[in-house]
Amino acid sequence: MQKIEVPKEENKILEGHQKVMYSTDEKGDFQRINYGSSVEEFATQVAVEEYEVLKVESLENIKKGLSSPIEYFMFENRMDLPTLASVVEMFQFRVKRHLKMKHFKKLNDKILSKYAQAFNIKIEELKDFKV
Amino acid sequence: MSEKFEHLQFAHCESGVVSTLLTHYGLKLSEPMVFGLTSSLSFVFLPIIKLNNMPLIAYRELPKNIINKVSKVLGVEIVKKTYKSEDDANSDLTKFVEDNQLVGLQTSVFYLPYFPKDMRFHFNAHNLLVYGKEGKDYKISDPVFEEAVLCDEQELTRARFAKGVFAPKGFMYYPKNIPNNLDFESIVKKAIKKNAKSMLTPFPYAGVKGMRTLAKKISKLNPTSDPRYLKNYLTHIVRMQEEIGTGGGGFRFLYAAFLKEVKKYDLDNELLEEASSLLVKSGNTLREFALLCVESSKKIDKFDPNKIAEKLVEASTYEEKAFKLLKKVQ
Repeated sequence: MQKIEVPKEENKILEGHQKVMYSTDEKGDFQRINYGSSVEEFATQVAVEEYEVLKVESLENIKKGLSSPIEYFMFENRMDLPTLASVVEMFQFRVKRHLKMKHFKKLNDKILSKYAQAFNIKIEELKDFKV
Repeated sequence: MSEKFEHLQFAHCESGVVSTLLTHYGLKLSEPMVFGLTSSLSFVFLPIIKLNNMPLIAYRELPKNIINKVSKVLGVEIVKKTYKSEDDANSDLTKFVEDNQLVGLQTSVFYLPYFPKDMRFHFNAHNLLVYGKEGKDYKISDPVFEEAVLCDEQELTRARFAKGVFAPKGFMYYPKNIPNNLDFESIVKKAIKKNAKSMLTPFPYAGVKGMRTLAKKISKLNPTSDPRYLKNYLTHIVRMQEEIGTGGGGFRFLYAAFLKEVKKYDLDNELLEEASSLLVKSGNTLREFALLCVESSKKIDKFDPNKIAEKLVEASTYEEKAFKLLKKVQ
């Protein structure tokens, strides 16, 4: 049987933890073995960084008066539109509107508090958002 | 029970939790056996379903498959509960742990405080075990981690009631009434054939054909188009495979281990050995595939879509061979 290469690389994302995979020992029996994969690390890093980039872009758009703070906090919480819509129990098209500054300004406290709850923040953090 | 309970680390959360639960309640079954008996090896590529604007790619059957199939295949009654109210879910859970009953939970990863920060994404189909309570903290055996962990009641509740794709709705489960005298020989045979059938399905977005559909999609990517999109796309494929897919071709190795373990049941051992070996090859090839994806997203100017697609096709041929063999298991 072909050998299974168990990667023993660094994966900083795991903060010192290790995961396991199945691999064969000398006798050809399968065992659970700890591994570390830099491939895994990189892929996760890219996903984490993507949200950072989205946040920076969002801040720029808030400055320009295009995007709303809701968009910023959506990315801060690593959410996409369907996830956020599901958390606040609103239709996606409605949430999409709220991501725009001009619609956001007209929102009442009741709706804002739904978002604040979703992001686990105070309603003022949305209202008085400073770039 | 909490004194006796021993935490173990597994390659995959759902098979790990079900293996521990069954073993704890009297039916000793390893993780590969649980995975194999529920015919969980798969490949699914569904471009219509989006997760963070990326297509759904799974290297095994969809979440809850194992929990649902265990009762079907083994005749084990599994008590499954979802909740409308968080308070009910919590008081129920507390009651169970006070009675020293081990239970499995489905949760989101994002809200679990003991996960490293950069591993926390909105993935709602994570499985873990609760085996005790200390004050406001639940004692948790999470199969991904080396050691048992603690989790605050409030935070665990949040994770159990996360919204979105695969929303857990407080899902809790444990086995009841495990039958004796299971005829493993025929169960194994059926499970293997079933898995072979699903891997060899003519539906172009699943099984071996699904792998080739994804390969075709990759080969059509334009290396000079939006580098940010390409980088995200390629690493997304890898994340679905590695991070949620237990290390390289993790699920392939898991299934290969299952085929090896069932050799004790008087089946065609030569055939099992060969299929097991082919799946190991596929697993290794999938790891090379992941490596190529990552290398390309690091240096987009060196991105060669055909080379990457070919690796995936190579893995799919091993799997096709393996399951064509396994279809013949007598």
